[in-house]
Amino acid sequence: MEKLAVGWALLGGVLLIAIVLVTAVNVGAFGFDRLAGLFGAAVPGLPGYEDFVRLAISAAAPMFFPYCQLRRGHVAVDIFVSRFSRRTQRGLDRFSLLAIAIMALFLTYWLILGLGETYSDGALSRVLGWPEWPFYLPGIASLALWALVALMQFFKADAHV
Amino acid sequence: MSELELIGLGGLALLFALLAFRIPVGLAMIAVGIAGNYALSLAAPYLRFEPYLKQFKTLLWNGLANYELSVVPLFVLMGYLASQTQLSRDLFQGLNALVGRLRGGVAMAAVCACAGFGAVCGSSLATASTMGRVALPELRRMRYDPKLATGTLAAGGTLGILIPPSIALVIYAIIVEASVIQMFQAAILPGLVAVAFFVGVIALQVRLKPDLAPLADPMEAQARRQALLRLIPVLVIFGSIILGLGMGLFTPTPAAAVGVFAILAYGLLRRFQGNGGGPEHQPRGGLTLTGLREALLQTAVTSGMIYFILFGAEVLKGFFTRAGLPTAMASWAGSSGLDPWAILIVMLVILVLLGCFMDSLAMILVVVPFIWPVLVDLNGGDYVTAATAAYGLDTEELKIWFGILALVVVELGLITPPVGLNVFIISSLAENVGMRAVFRGVMPFFSAEIVRVALLLSLPALTLFMPRLLSG
Repeated sequence: MEKLAVGWALLGGVLLIAIVLVTAVNVGAFGFDRLAGLFGAAVPGLPGYEDFVRLAISAAAPMFFPYCQLRRGHVAVDIFVSRFSRRTQRGLDRFSLLAIAIMALFLTYWLILGLGETYSDGALSRVLGWPEWPFYLPGIASLALWALVALMQFFKADAHV
Repeated sequence: MSELELIGLGGLALLFALLAFRIPVGLAMIAVGIAGNYALSLAAPYLRFEPYLKQFKTLLWNGLANYELSVVPLFVLMGYLASQTQLSRDLFQGLNALVGRLRGGVAMAAVCACAGFGAVCGSSLATASTMGRVALPELRRMRYDPKLATGTLAAGGTLGILIPPSIALVIYAIIVEASVIQMFQAAILPGLVAVAFFVGVIALQVRLKPDLAPLADPMEAQARRQALLRLIPVLVIFGSIILGLGMGLFTPTPAAAVGVFAILAYGLLRRFQGNGGGPEHQPRGGLTLTGLREALLQTAVTSGMIYFILFGAEVLKGFFTRAGLPTAMASWAGSSGLDPWAILIVMLVILVLLGCFMDSLAMILVVVPFIWPVLVDLNGGDYVTAATAAYGLDTEELKIWFGILALVVVELGLITPPVGLNVFIISSLAENVGMRAVFRGVMPFFSAEIVRVALLLSLPALTLFMPRLLSG
């Protein structure tokens, strides 16, 4: 499970790098276009660049959630809970883990309905004209994995407090 | 106060209660948002719950598929990559070669390096920990007073949040619908003022007590030349990001992507160039595959956290707006007859206090949507002109000015006793220097910060100079 979350997050990271490379090409093309403009030539940028970033980030961003959960990266505020007994702390911790799992499953459920709706509407991205529904899939998988990671932490005996 | 507004207030109280019991911020926001909307549907039948729930089909995906926000993970990645390459060390050592021979020079170099690093890293905590790791050993080797050394780094770390590109500024700009570029431009002068103040504080301290900072031996000419040479590519990367953004050559996302690209290229070059006869205690520079993997995973944790809170804030906003809470608070503040300046100062004090134990991004996301409409109302409404406004600024300029003020104040929370997070980080890095000693070391910088807040408050032109100049 841990390996899955790590690999999944790295895959999201690779998507992020892809955004970087595409953007660099686009900026480069834009720069050359300015330069070439001086000599009356034109270098086209990548059409639909913003579309690409939008779709890629919609896939990459949720892929970070499970790993963030694995590392306990989702911030909470510690005002006085650290002064409670270990048992109370563990109890609160398990409560939030369960709540996170429920929330992630809730969002998974609605996202699956969202996928269905987007598919039947045939929603397309504005410039590229790519269908939007496949980009719901990484999100659905990510949220389900998020719930699994939280449940695993819930059932694990040793306390993280 | 209407029933709906009361439900809104109850939701706000519930939110703070959940946060106090260490429920993750994003989760608490979503839970209050959904429960609150359910309560609203019971109180007012026309606010039906089922159509509200159906929003969740597309709310998350539409929130994530946002071009504007894509800049956030890219800036995060840029910061972590910069920590993984030897860029932070090159920066510090180059600056040290420049000013290290002055009394207190190593500490001054550390402050400037923090500011420089803040230019690739949008987070204060990351700046403090990265530069702490690089500069603390050097300060210790030079036998600098531990209080001065740790205080410098804890205070210097706060520069990360303000010096553009700052993640917090991006988020603020999105909430109040300001231009990110203008926010970045506005942050430049206040950031430089902070650097000047911090350097001044160091100079003053070592002037009064010279034994705080022993004079450094002159560096070997060759090592010095090498350190200065290494500074050049670092300055080129930083300079092009800041200038490109500041002059409006880049929009934020391309700037961030080009920054990541440049740092990747720099890391690879540095890798193959090897150590090239640098000092022996210095490991081989550059980016390794493990380093890249580590940077990507850290980016995943930080971005995951930010996106979760952002989504939570979106859900929460849906509830508060339906309950009419922000407008109710604005009209209450407007009719209270209190002086607008007094209310502004009270708000800033609340931000400092909250900043002591709350993550700065989470705080901006929770608090700004409430404070902002109140300020607009106090100022004289959306369409007020600068001449008749209570703060002497029109709404657009008020946005910029208040954003910078709020950020500076949040920064201050990071070094405010007894729980400033930066102090905590530096104290844990320094091993044998306790929290209390670091706080004592930070105090002179803290006082300088208070002066700076007063300066920014009384002179809005200081913040607005750059955006006014650059937008013509």
